[in-house]
Amino acid sequence: MSLALAARDVVVELGGRRVLDGVSFEVGRGEFTALCGPNGGGKTTLLRAALGLVPLAKGSIEVLGERPGRATAAVGYLPQTKSFSGSFPARVVDVITAARRGAWPFRVSGPERERAREVLARVGGEPLVDSPLGGLSGGELQRVFLARALVRDPALLLLDEPTAGVDGRGRAEFLDLLAGIAERSDLAAVLVTHNAAAVRRLADRALYLDGTLRAWGAPEEVLDREWVGTSAFSGHDHAAPVDARCEDA
Amino acid sequence: MDGLVELLVSPLGQGFVRRALAAGLALGTAGAFLGVFVVQRGLGLVADGLAHATFGGLALGLLLGATPDRAIWIALPFTMAVALGIQQLRRRTSLGGDVATGVFFAVSFAAGVMFLGLRGPRGVPVNVEALLFGSLLAVSPEALGVVALVSLLVVSVLLRVGPQLAYATFDAELARLSGVRVEALESLLLAMTALVVVVGAKTIGVVLVAAFVVIPAATAQILGRTLGVTLALAVAASLAGTAFGLFASYHLNVAPGATIILTLGAFFFLALVLRRR
Repeated sequence: MSLALAARDVVVELGGRRVLDGVSFEVGRGEFTALCGPNGGGKTTLLRAALGLVPLAKGSIEVLGERPGRATAAVGYLPQTKSFSGSFPARVVDVITAARRGAWPFRVSGPERERAREVLARVGGEPLVDSPLGGLSGGELQRVFLARALVRDPALLLLDEPTAGVDGRGRAEFLDLLAGIAERSDLAAVLVTHNAAAVRRLADRALYLDGTLRAWGAPEEVLDREWVGTSAFSGHDHAAPVDARCEDA
Repeated sequence: MDGLVELLVSPLGQGFVRRALAAGLALGTAGAFLGVFVVQRGLGLVADGLAHATFGGLALGLLLGATPDRAIWIALPFTMAVALGIQQLRRRTSLGGDVATGVFFAVSFAAGVMFLGLRGPRGVPVNVEALLFGSLLAVSPEALGVVALVSLLVVSVLLRVGPQLAYATFDAELARLSGVRVEALESLLLAMTALVVVVGAKTIGVVLVAAFVVIPAATAQILGRTLGVTLALAVAASLAGTAFGLFASYHLNVAPGATIILTLGAFFFLALVLRRR
């Protein structure tokens, strides 16, 4: 099986602290992998290292056979925290077209608008195409950024707590969306989540990361470990006290 | 109606007014275009800081024996060095951009005051008021050439790198992932801001030049829904404000820098009112 992502003995140090220590794993093409673990366990750092946004102190990461940051056109990324400028005069169609072009569009062509509509339709966001980005709800914003991640037909999708900031109903709908996307046989995905239901429903494999890789295997195998259930899952992303009990959303 | 047209056109019979209008329109176009990116990146205060750093640069040029017209060639590298200093301080320390700018702003201005004092009695006489508030109506053909060249250069560069710069302005991290060289573009933006501010400081003055960059862009930001529309509105506001302010200054017999900035300020408040509707 050819690999979408391969991490070998990865060490990352940030601000003098070792955040990842000797992490090795592989994600095959077409495989959906859930990355779980407590807050501060290094999940987001690992995704950012795979994107080339965080330097490695030791080890190596290959993304679709390339060094981090080299295969960006074939990688779709949905960040946990949206860092865009809220005052920037951006419409949804501009954001999606910018991801496709790699540059901001001063004018969006007919085919580009059509492509934006098409990819928004896949995530149930077609009516948002001309909406100003600043007026969207948390759930709408996640749909738009998922559409943005999909616009170049990526071979690898990196999803960092995609249901963070989304209400209960929105979370369920978003999981349906991800399930539909996961059905595409050639698309590999790494999903960072605190949602046990998402892991059970979507993932082919789960990894449990707490600085080091402490468990990996089939989702049920990882979730059923006693120490996992009480430290990493709250039922929804990015809103959990560390010791919350595992509950399905 | 004819009377109004006559009122507007009559000053253009004089060469110095035509030169002032041409310099103002050129500077207004470049300043507004640049300003949209400067304001969106939250660097409005940096533009103000660089304008005050220009005072230090001009004063250094005078201390070194340059004439007031030629002192901008000393002020230019001085102000660019300050721009890069602000950028490095923002990147390498936890200090915010406002703090970095505040430090360089005060130090450069104080250095300018010291340089003027160190010139001694044999230095070229300098009108400090003209340095601070400019002299748009006294723009020489040579100075107009410099303003036109700088404006053309800035607009050309922005048209070339605008889409990448805009992406980096929207979200630096997403732009970086698309291969945009975010840090290099920010350095380029600051260097161009320094260039416009130095040339503008000579014509409309140190105190007012930052407003030329910030106010039209801020006005356009209130009304524009897309970046293209925002850029067009900023340039239109700047051109209209410059022309109206210049003619008003001629008829009121007051400094044109002040009437231009007041007109731009009026457009800004009008935009706020229009947005509420």
